[in-house]
Amino acid sequence: MKKLVLGGNDAVAYAVKQCYVDVVSAYPITPQTSIIENIAHFIAKGEMKTRFIKVESEHSAMAAAIGSSVAGSRVFTATSSQGLLLMHEMLHWAAGLGTPIVMANANRAVAPPWSIWADQVDSLSQRDAGWIQFYASNSQEAYDLLFLSFRLSEKVKNPVMVCMDGFLVTHTKEPVETFEDEITDFIRLKETSALLDIDKPDAVGALAFPKDYMPVKLKQIERITSAKSEFYNIAEEFKDVSGKEYKPLYTYGDSDADIVLVAMGSNAETAHLAVDLLNKEGIKSKLVKIIMFRPFPKGEFEREFKGAKKIVVFDRNISMGKGGITKDEIVGALGIKNAIGVVCGLGGVDVTEIEMANIAKDVLEDKITEDMILWGEK
Amino acid sequence: MTIPKEEILKPSHLACPGCGGALAMRLALKALGRRTMVVISACCWTVINGTIGYNYSGVPALHTAFETTAVVAAGIKASLEMQGKGDITVMAWAGDGGTFDIGLQSLSGAAERNDDIIYVCYDNEAYMNTGIQRSSATPIGAETTTTPSPVVKDRPKKDLMEIVAAHDVPYVASATIAYPNDLVKKFEKAKSKKGFKLIHILSPCPPGHKFPENKTVEISKLAVETGIFPLYEIEEGKYKINKKPKFQNLDKYLNLQGRFKNMPKDKREALEEFIKKRWERLSIKAEYFS
Repeated sequence: MKKLVLGGNDAVAYAVKQCYVDVVSAYPITPQTSIIENIAHFIAKGEMKTRFIKVESEHSAMAAAIGSSVAGSRVFTATSSQGLLLMHEMLHWAAGLGTPIVMANANRAVAPPWSIWADQVDSLSQRDAGWIQFYASNSQEAYDLLFLSFRLSEKVKNPVMVCMDGFLVTHTKEPVETFEDEITDFIRLKETSALLDIDKPDAVGALAFPKDYMPVKLKQIERITSAKSEFYNIAEEFKDVSGKEYKPLYTYGDSDADIVLVAMGSNAETAHLAVDLLNKEGIKSKLVKIIMFRPFPKGEFEREFKGAKKIVVFDRNISMGKGGITKDEIVGALGIKNAIGVVCGLGGVDVTEIEMANIAKDVLEDKITEDMILWGEK
Repeated sequence: MTIPKEEILKPSHLACPGCGGALAMRLALKALGRRTMVVISACCWTVINGTIGYNYSGVPALHTAFETTAVVAAGIKASLEMQGKGDITVMAWAGDGGTFDIGLQSLSGAAERNDDIIYVCYDNEAYMNTGIQRSSATPIGAETTTTPSPVVKDRPKKDLMEIVAAHDVPYVASATIAYPNDLVKKFEKAKSKKGFKLIHILSPCPPGHKFPENKTVEISKLAVETGIFPLYEIEEGKYKINKKPKFQNLDKYLNLQGRFKNMPKDKREALEEFIKKRWERLSIKAEYFS
């Protein structure tokens, strides 16, 4: 292991370099660009034996990734916001074909108005596209999740998206424990399988009449559903190499908490501090950080919420006309009535631990009884 | 030269009787052989190739989204090369809608990068799979369901060959199934070259152009003879006209096809003018860059 100071983007690019990736296809977009710039430099210096297809759009980035994956290669791409939205059609293709593509997404607000800052509407509005979705809240997680994602995607034959809040995670330089040779056995062996085989002239993705469509979708459901248990297995193996434990939900604080703060991405780092503040005041609280958003870890949430009086979910995203997306997902899956949703930090607005702690207190004391929007400085 | 005897395209595929696109695929595969993979975007061939479990093309085939033919093929080729299987030919196969319109951006990207693929546009001059809507490949004066008479197509067909040639790629050629030797030769030439190759095949469509099923070859031939569809190639920037037209039989060509039945006089004149101007330009280029 070697400690390096890396931003989330640097960490992702460094991980890609160590993951024996055959093909990268990508298009620049702020705040993702430094990922693919780093990769281009690694290739130029001969440190990576990877083909980089410099496409003319994100739609083509995903299309090329699909082609390469279908032909049997390990493939990576990265994008953000408008780029991810442009990819939307191809996200469905990638998942529907069962291509083990790994993609990093820098969570950035969607225009208009133009914004390059953190907001998770981009990737959360792709939640129905069939991708496994991870959210990293710091550079270390971004780095580690890349290794886990390649293994998981190839194991279950499903693409994986690793999301990082723009700038807050992608560009914040932090010490990251990186691997040297110790990771080789974990990552080198590829479980890619070519859907196109020159000796077996089959057609892939052909037209399906209604009676044929559902069985194909059933297989897809099985693939993504199996990703949760496979993630535990692969994370166990990863722990043996790295000493780091990864689970769909990360928890911190008082296991006997009265109030649970739920957050995803950079918000979770802030909520970490909020939990410290609350516990210092004698308010039994804990953080539940969402690392795996798809497949949705319903059982894990149920276990974490047991015994809690109140749950407050902080969402740096919004489904217009409905509310915070993860809050809505949690309530929808669990049917709980003691959760309050807080939409906050849209378009990169700062959210502080003091604001979070105060809201958590008010929720616990029934001073806040309905979902709310934290506007920040107006 | 002889056309290879081996049939790779399987019988009982799902094309309409007299489909120019089916004949084009048959000849293309004869020329390229079995070590070929084909990418098929949304087009008539999505249907022709068969439903789940079928693959009438006879070579590994990937169906993909409408606008992605070129770049998906490029992705496959990159992957094959990384695996030491670069000898496999990758053919991108798209209709005119997928090429002239929605797929032009990704086609331009692949051409600019000079990705090592053969891109084929089988051009039936309208959105035929959705039931005859105008595309930018529809000729001036033609009737479609979105250009119903008297509002027939009022703009000339986009010049795909010259657009692609402007990317400085090694090979651009047009072909028709009426000249199968020429078509096969062009595919063989395309296969022998590294980099981006385009073959533009006119693909008459009996239900879409409204002509009898047994006239596909005749109409293809007339398209060349009238000068409407120039048969030429641009090899490493050098132009070569493969068949000089006699500029005859335009009436016959138009009258054979119901889509021109309601062609107004001014559109007919505009078409003649278009043919004339295009050939002037082409002749100059052929003379200057030969």
